[in-house]
Amino acid sequence: MRRKTFDRREAREAYLLLLPFGIFFALFVLYPIVRSILDSFTDYSLSSRAFTGLRNYVRLFTNDKAFLLSIRNTLLYAAGSIVPLMLLGLTAALLVNRKSAGMYLARAALMTPYVTSLVAVSLVWLFLYDPTSGAFNKVLAILGLPRQQFLYDRTQALWCLVVMNVWKNLGYVMILYLAALQSVPQALLEAAQLDGAGYFARLRRITLPHLRPISYLLFTTLTVECFKTFEPVRVMTSGGPVNATTTITYQIYLRAFSEFKLGYASAMSVVVLLIVLAVTLLNLKLGHQLDGEDGV
Amino acid sequence: MKKLLARVPGTLLLLLLVAVMIFPYWMMVSVSLQTNAEIYAPTLKLFPSVPQWSNYAAAMQNGSWGRYILNSLYTTTVATGVSLFINALTGYVFARMRFPFQRTLLVLVLVGMMIPTQVTLVPLFVLVRSLPLLGGNNLLGQGGTGLVDTYAGLMLPYLAGSFGVFMTRQFYVMFPRELDEAAKLDGCSRFGAFVRVYLPLSGSILASLAVLKFIGAWNEYTWPLVMTNTGSGRITTVQLALTMFRNEGEIFWNLLMAATVVSTSVVLAVFLTLQKHFVAGVLAGSIKE
Repeated sequence: MRRKTFDRREAREAYLLLLPFGIFFALFVLYPIVRSILDSFTDYSLSSRAFTGLRNYVRLFTNDKAFLLSIRNTLLYAAGSIVPLMLLGLTAALLVNRKSAGMYLARAALMTPYVTSLVAVSLVWLFLYDPTSGAFNKVLAILGLPRQQFLYDRTQALWCLVVMNVWKNLGYVMILYLAALQSVPQALLEAAQLDGAGYFARLRRITLPHLRPISYLLFTTLTVECFKTFEPVRVMTSGGPVNATTTITYQIYLRAFSEFKLGYASAMSVVVLLIVLAVTLLNLKLGHQLDGEDGV
Repeated sequence: MKKLLARVPGTLLLLLLVAVMIFPYWMMVSVSLQTNAEIYAPTLKLFPSVPQWSNYAAAMQNGSWGRYILNSLYTTTVATGVSLFINALTGYVFARMRFPFQRTLLVLVLVGMMIPTQVTLVPLFVLVRSLPLLGGNNLLGQGGTGLVDTYAGLMLPYLAGSFGVFMTRQFYVMFPRELDEAAKLDGCSRFGAFVRVYLPLSGSILASLAVLKFIGAWNEYTWPLVMTNTGSGRITTVQLALTMFRNEGEIFWNLLMAATVVSTSVVLAVFLTLQKHFVAGVLAGSIKE
C-alpha cells in the first residue's frame, strides 16, 4: 500500500477553509439524505416516530393506488419527453450551428423557455390549454380541427404536460449538442465532403458518432429532471383529473405536507433516490464502455 | 449562390421552430394587454386592439407585489453571493491543497450534486423547523417553528451547493502552480492567496456561476412553498405570488399574464445580457472531466 504524506499545517488549514462549506453540506445535504432513509422505516408524523420496519414500502407497492399510478405517470412522462427532446434538440443545434447575428438571436429565443421559471411557464401553458379562452383551441378552430379538453381530459392531460416539458427543455438539449457539434473535427467533415459525401452521409458517419457521449449524459440528466417534476403538476392539474397526472414528487408533497405522514413520504423519497442512482450508475457504465471502444 | 440556396430549407425550418418556441411568450405578452372580452372572444387575437396597460397596475395591486419582488431579490442576491464565495473557496481548497481524505470528500460532494432536492425535502423541512433555540424552539428544537417562514429558512439550503464547488475546482486546477509559489513568497497564507490572487482571476467562472445560481434561486418554487406552508405570507416570493392568481375562484388571465411578464422579465434581462456566461456555465456543469 502506498502511503501518502501530508504537510500537517497545510492539512489543518485546508480543513479550516473547508469548514463553512462542510457545515452547510453536512447539515442541508448529507443529514437529510441519511434522515430520509432512516425515517422511511418509521411511522414518523409530527407527533410520533416508531420503527415499523418495511411496512411503508410494503404499503407503497401493494396498497397505494395513487403511488403506483404516480410511478406509471412519471415513467410515461420521462419516456414521452426524452426521445422528442433529444431529436428536436439535436435538430435545433444543427440548424443554429453557424456564426451570425441571426443565429445568436435564434439561440437566445430557443433557450428562453429553459431559463424561465417552471411556475411562470406552467401558468402560461395553463392559459394556452384552457378549453374556452385558451389559444390552442382557437388555433385548432382556424385549422378546422375539433376542440380539445386538454388538461381536463384524463387521456390527454399527461401528454399536455409532456409537450410543455419538451418545449421548456429544448434549449438546454440544444446548447449541449451545439457545444459537441463545434468540437467535431472540421478537417474530417471537409475531407468527407471532398470525397463526395452528402450532408446526411456526413451527419450519419461523422457527426452522430461524435455526439454519443453527450447523448448518454443528456439521457441521464433529462431522466433525473423528469423524475423531479413537481411544479407543473401542482400549478396546472393538482395531479388530476383523477390522478391522471400525479407524479412521484407530487405524491411526496401531498403525503408530507398535507397529511404530515413524514415517514411514509420518506419511503417514497428513497424510491426516487434509488431510481436516480440507478440511472446515474447506468450512465457511468455506458460511458465507460464507450471510453473503452473509442480508446479515449 | 448555390451555397446560399442550400441554406434555404434549414433557415425556413429554423424560423418555424423559433416561431413555435416563441408563440407561448407572444401570447403571454399579448394577453397581458388584452381586455377580458378579447380573451373570451371565439377567435384568436394575436394583438390587443388597444393595449390595456392598466392590467399591469391592477395585477400588481393583487397582493403586495412590491414586497414579493423585494423578497425574491433579497433572498436570491444574498443566497447567490454567499454561496458563490463559499463554493469558490471550497473549489480552491480541493484544487490546490493536499489533505487526508481529499478524494473521498470530493466524491461525497459529487454525490451531493446528483441527489435531487425533492428527495431531501421532508427531512430538510423538519430540520429547519426544529433548529434549537430559534423561532421559539427550546434547546431540543421543540415547541416553536424554528426558521420556517423566515428569510434565513428560505436561503439556508442554497448556501452549500455542490455544483459550484465542482465547477470552481475544475477551473482552479488549470491555474499554474507558480501562482501559489509567488503568493507564498509574498507572505500570503493560503486563504490570503485565494482572496488576493485566485479570486481576482475568477471573473469569468464566477460570472457564469452567479448567473446560473441567480436564475435558479429566482425560479425556485418547491422550497419556498414548503417554507411558507403554515406562514403569514411575510416572506412570499414572486413564484409563490404568481400561483395565488390561480387559487382564486375565477382566473383573470390578463392580470395573471401581466404578473407573469413582470416576474419573468427579471430573469430574462439577466439571461439576455449575460447569455454568454450562462451558456458557459451550463456547459461547464455538464461536461465530464
